Amino acid sequence: MPARPSPLLLLTIGTALLLGLAGAVSLSLANGLSPVNAAILSWLTVTYSVSGLVAWWCRPANRLGPLLLLTGVGGLVSATGRAEQGILQTVGQAADLVPLVLIVHVFVSFPTGRLHGRAEKLLIGVGYLAAVPGQLVVMMLGGLPPHLLTVVEAPGPAVVLHNVVLTTVSAVALGGVALLFTRRRTHGRHLRRSLTLLVDSFALGLVMIAALMVVGAFGGPAFPAVQRISLILLGVAPVAFLAGLLQARLARSSVGDLVVALRGEPADVRTPLAHALRDPSLVLLYWLPRFGVWAGPDGRPVTLPDDPDRVSLIDDDGEPMAALIHDPALRDEAALLDAVRAAACIALRSGRLQAQLRASVEELRGSRARVLEAGRRERQRLERDLHDGAQQRLVALSLNLGVLQTRLGDDPEAAALLIEARGEIAVSLTELRDLARGLHPAVVSAHGLAVALESLAARAPVPVRLSVDLPGRVDEAIEVAAYYVVCESLTNVGKHARATAATVAVSQRNGTMAIEVVDDGCGGADTERGTGLRGLADRVEALGGCLRLWTPAGGGTELRAELPCG
Amino acid sequence: MRVAIAEDSVLLREGIARLLTDAGFDVVARCGDAVQLRSELRVRVPDVVIVDIRLPPTHTDEGLRAAIELRAEHPGLAVVVLSQYVEVGLAMKLLADSADRVGYLLKDRISDVPDFIAAVRRVAAGGSAIDPTIVSTLLGRRRHDDPLARLTPREREVLELMAAGTSNQGIADRLVITLRAVEKYVSSIFGKLGLPATGSESRRVLAVLLFLRT
Repeated sequence: MPARPSPLLLLTIGTALLLGLAGAVSLSLANGLSPVNAAILSWLTVTYSVSGLVAWWCRPANRLGPLLLLTGVGGLVSATGRAEQGILQTVGQAADLVPLVLIVHVFVSFPTGRLHGRAEKLLIGVGYLAAVPGQLVVMMLGGLPPHLLTVVEAPGPAVVLHNVVLTTVSAVALGGVALLFTRRRTHGRHLRRSLTLLVDSFALGLVMIAALMVVGAFGGPAFPAVQRISLILLGVAPVAFLAGLLQARLARSSVGDLVVALRGEPADVRTPLAHALRDPSLVLLYWLPRFGVWAGPDGRPVTLPDDPDRVSLIDDDGEPMAALIHDPALRDEAALLDAVRAAACIALRSGRLQAQLRASVEELRGSRARVLEAGRRERQRLERDLHDGAQQRLVALSLNLGVLQTRLGDDPEAAALLIEARGEIAVSLTELRDLARGLHPAVVSAHGLAVALESLAARAPVPVRLSVDLPGRVDEAIEVAAYYVVCESLTNVGKHARATAATVAVSQRNGTMAIEVVDDGCGGADTERGTGLRGLADRVEALGGCLRLWTPAGGGTELRAELPCG
Repeated sequence: MRVAIAEDSVLLREGIARLLTDAGFDVVARCGDAVQLRSELRVRVPDVVIVDIRLPPTHTDEGLRAAIELRAEHPGLAVVVLSQYVEVGLAMKLLADSADRVGYLLKDRISDVPDFIAAVRRVAAGGSAIDPTIVSTLLGRRRHDDPLARLTPREREVLELMAAGTSNQGIADRLVITLRAVEKYVSSIFGKLGLPATGSESRRVLAVLLFLRT
């Protein structure tokens, strides 16, 4: 971090500026400047210079302080153009447009004091080019007399070039404001939002000045009142910048509060951190070495942003532990960031453990779903193999025996044997069919849940009132799970419930399939003993759904499952 | 009588073709999938189509969809759908609004050659053939205040055969009773179930199945 400027240096600059201001004001007043305009000149010089000095002192790393100071000096120098003649007057004339470009520079580079991106650099570069070399050429051509710089007397080109210079500087001012608003819209700064809005509103003063300059250059009215108000407005802007600095100092004192807040080992570490950093947009990530990823407090993996100005890492014994993703403007408050990082270390250690735990749970949930899905696919494949293989062959065999029987003629013993063989095949086919149905309900995949549920209801051990309200097919894993929920529930109704009737309702709303199976039996179902219910719950939960059972003794049983199917 | 067969298992397809040829049918098309069946039917329409419910490429419901579409396109066409498993829901989908010229049978039934041939002939002649499994599932369905309980055992037998699409003559032959006796049982059953008497034998199949389904 750059060292603070010495107080002596700042004091010297301040005194020199005050003396310069006194000189410039008296000079201007002597040369016909109105007292109001002199006051505005003093106001601008003082606000920019003092804000610049304070900023430089408090935030030596930030370039905004020197830039503000330079703007104040520039205003003062340009004021010497009021002098009758001589070197002072020439310098003042030459520097006439510089303060405006400096102000644009300050606005565009707030809050870091640096220009980011090609557009900003180009804009400010063009501004300085027009304000210094451009203005000098105008003067060399004999424009804006009297001064010491005239080389050739070319009043025509001088006027044209001067208008070009004025228009360019105005355009730079307007472009700066446009850039400011575009940046605000696309980046959306959360930090010190109110202050940003304040600065933006002062930018309107810039727009007014630029507009007035163009109007004046082309011989329009001067609107002195509007000009004065705009200048006063521009003079308030550095006060807003200063307010930003004071706020940062306040933020630093909030580290103490943070230490107190974190001592209670809160479950939510992010909120006190965001509070201490005054950055509501703050994101807290943990490094999970077991998984080799950055993850949020919920354990879900997150990619770290590329922008180094937005990321601050927090180490623990040289190993990365956590990362703060924050407003890039916080980069200029390195001391605050350091203090917060140090204060948060212990709380983050336990926060990371929680994140790690959640990541493990997340991973388990994922692997359970994958295992179940793999099992389902495997059973589906087996069912298909049975259908296309053994079942088809047995049917063909039985068919051949049938044909043989018709061609056999009158041999009752052979006919009896054939009938017996066909009977055996029929039994095998029935067994295979039951086996295949248990492996995978092919009717669900082929014809949908509604058809499959109708068959289930028809085979149910008690009368079933079935209502199916589904707009269309959904993911096969969901349909199969829903089928098993109903199938197993109806089996249980027959086995344990002593019920006389059941209702099955399947509906789909807002991306969720709801399955309800209600019976009028004796209730009090043992949810622990049977593996059927547990298996059902596993299957449903693995798909991100939930399954609940109400089974009061003597009050019937109600099963309700919800499956996400959006 | 001309028959087209759509069945992806060659073994079964040739087996069915052989037994139908033996029985005097003219097998005009042997197809491995629904696409081939449709293009064969564009050339000439047979009297009966025998189609497996699960056909390539997805092995899900191609056969069923083809059967439903062909029935709609060719009103005179008889369709027999074969499957490894039969489902009440699918039977209802297939029959939709008419049981005329429809069969829905388990593949196992083919091996009882005389029965199977009789079922195909019955469907071709405008009747229906519904697998006994469907009927027994529906009959086994528990009901409150069951009107089926009022049927005598004999009436229950007749109902079962009737629901499967068997004609009065077929029922008489099977139960070894006279045609007049069958007619008496049928009207008694319709009376006990509170169903209006219907003329055609296939129309009463649908009426009975719809009744049993509720």
